[in-house]
Amino acid sequence: MKRKVLTGSLLAMGALLVGVSFFAIAQPLTVLPRMALAPGFVLTDQHGERLTNEDLRGKLVVYTLAYTGCGEACAPINRTMAELAARLDEVDTGGAPVRLVTISVDPERDTPAALRSAAEGLGADGQVWRLASGDPAMVRQVVGGGFEVFYEARDDGTIRFDPAFVVVDGWGITRARNRVGLPDVELLLDQLRLLGNEVRASTGVARFAYEAAHLFSCYAY
Amino acid sequence: MIRTRFLLAGAALALLAALAAVAVGIRLAALPELHGTLLDPPLPAAEFALTSADGGAVGPQDFRGRLVVLFFGFTNCPDVCPLTMHRLGSAMEELGDRADQVQVILVSVDPERDPPAKVDEYAKRFHPSFIGVTGSDDELRTVTSSYGIYYARTEVEGALGYTVDHSASTLVLDRNGGLRMIWPFDTTPEGMASDLRYLIRR
Repeated sequence: MKRKVLTGSLLAMGALLVGVSFFAIAQPLTVLPRMALAPGFVLTDQHGERLTNEDLRGKLVVYTLAYTGCGEACAPINRTMAELAARLDEVDTGGAPVRLVTISVDPERDTPAALRSAAEGLGADGQVWRLASGDPAMVRQVVGGGFEVFYEARDDGTIRFDPAFVVVDGWGITRARNRVGLPDVELLLDQLRLLGNEVRASTGVARFAYEAAHLFSCYAY
Repeated sequence: MIRTRFLLAGAALALLAALAAVAVGIRLAALPELHGTLLDPPLPAAEFALTSADGGAVGPQDFRGRLVVLFFGFTNCPDVCPLTMHRLGSAMEELGDRADQVQVILVSVDPERDPPAKVDEYAKRFHPSFIGVTGSDDELRTVTSSYGIYYARTEVEGALGYTVDHSASTLVLDRNGGLRMIWPFDTTPEGMASDLRYLIRR
């Protein structure tokens, strides 16, 4: 009897070991890491309406930076956002709405009227894609402190900043910081798809598998 | 002889791996139905030094070894703050003698009307162990932003003159100061107590 119990325990332990090892090595599920809390903020969008991080809770959000006086330097960033906005229906986000937010790093000059004019040119509808600016101290806190993106005004009035596309989940947690050059739209769509997988698996047994994926750092990127 | 050593080393490694596997299995299996979002591994949480009722500087780092529950509100808040604070107080009652392993900190985002002593007195109405702190607008902007909290003053008609809109989430930091859980506004006292019990057990 004792021997059977011992054998059974060893077999169970072995099966568990194999299972855990398989999960850790083969990584059948991949997730985006939970990097940090995204910053809290209150900004103003192109319609003069208040935009807070709380308004975006429950939604998947892609943030980027630009400013209206940026000209050609920001064109690739804006094109990426426009293409992303146009292709959002290609990705299954598990029912979570997606929002795009371009934060101006030139809050002194980017009034709601300036943002509205820019938004019209970009095709930013104000619903899915919003352009936002606000109190310079708040912008500094959000962009520099929260998203950890460097920017500074040059003597010629232009603003130097590192392009960044930051993906935040519905809990307000930063899940991806794309800061090396311009990300491919496919990459951003894939990051949204990965978050969508987690949204769909947020209840039931699948939740444990996704928690295990976080535990084992089964990161997609 | 060498073969025996290899075998022994292999067996020891296999045993260690098996123990690790069992530990992970138990950890996942022991995950109860949670009422907030569990962050595992925990996220880094900023230390801060806001002003307490006695004029001293207080932050979550002063309570290492205990869970720290952070809520951001203000004493003139009509609904969200008293409701959340009341729920937290009820959760503490439900925890019984384990309540001493939890420290609730209310951070007022209305420093103009909420001096530290007033915030602290308000917090203690909901549970004697609660503490209230606040700081300058600059300090609060840094702290709130780092915790994903927003607040903004909104002018209103009437005697109050203005109110303060703010995030309604409650945050739980673990014993080491890492952010472990985020509770949405509608979390019940029972849910909070259940989650806190789980975090205390870990």
